Amino acid sequence: MSQPLKGRLALVTGSGRGIGNAIALKLASQGADIIVNFFRHREAADKTARDIEAMGVKAQIIRANVGDAKKIDEMFDTIGNDWGHLDILINNAASGVGRSVMDVDLKAWDWTMDINAKAFLLCAQRAAKLMEGRGGKIVSISSLGSSFVLPTYAIVGISKAALEALTRYLAIELAPKGICVNGVAASAVETEALKFYIKEGFIKDTRQATPAGRMVIPEDVANVVAFLCSDEALMIRGQIIIVDGGTSVAPFVMQEQDRQ
Amino acid sequence: MSVEEQIKEIVAKIVHVDKSIITREGTFKDIKADSLDVVQALVAVEDAFEIEIPDEEAQKFQNFGDFVDYVERCLAAKERA
Repeated sequence: MSQPLKGRLALVTGSGRGIGNAIALKLASQGADIIVNFFRHREAADKTARDIEAMGVKAQIIRANVGDAKKIDEMFDTIGNDWGHLDILINNAASGVGRSVMDVDLKAWDWTMDINAKAFLLCAQRAAKLMEGRGGKIVSISSLGSSFVLPTYAIVGISKAALEALTRYLAIELAPKGICVNGVAASAVETEALKFYIKEGFIKDTRQATPAGRMVIPEDVANVVAFLCSDEALMIRGQIIIVDGGTSVAPFVMQEQDRQ
Repeated sequence: MSVEEQIKEIVAKIVHVDKSIITREGTFKDIKADSLDVVQALVAVEDAFEIEIPDEEAQKFQNFGDFVDYVERCLAAKERA
């Protein structure tokens, strides 16, 4: 199997479970050594690392709450000391509070913005320094809630909009350094975490509303991320690639078909 | 100050309640803490004691007593190490 990322080092934030896990495994399958960042689920991170090492590449686990600037600094200090460089940053870690706009308080706002938006700024700043002189790839993981209004998704959607804007600014500012920055925005992805946020029937409804006929799974996102990390995607800069099985371009078509 | 008192102080500050209403038998629900309060309390306690409380362990806590006991066990293990 071809290993286009052999010898590269990738940091995937929030890679113990779900989308981050799938991305870490995909990049590892292409030969990259992986830094598995996690915060709350050590057992899952341990398993991710074991699965990565089983593919014959290296894995290092770093626990850090990316909502805390000091912890981000410590994580990058460790990467700098242990590896001295970084080739790929996948800004995947996310959190949020499911509330309507009118119920958002400062605590929920700060928590969500710190983890979903501010962390990307701080991680990208530190990562870019470790990529100096060797180029690199940065991919942010967003969601359709950045552009569309989803029930009780207000703060997360707003934080993802900030993350997408930052993706574009970073893409232009880092282009002269040979660093390629893009994002991937998915619709609801079938993960363990999703089950905490959704109401009964959501998965069935989403499946029916998706032109591609099924929900997006973590591997769908991971495949696009891997492409954006390849040299074949070098001329894609500052773009947010949507992975939603066609939902966003045909919101009414499927509802109409359901009625027939 | 005992570990229990320190934890009560941290939780009270995050949930904005008087620490006297936090008892070993009580739960986060009893003091009207939401899910974000719970996560922030766990994080703050981790930082204060320089320990790790994985979600898998936190989910087993039935009340504050279990929370305190877990932290004390972590500290004892740290001491031994």
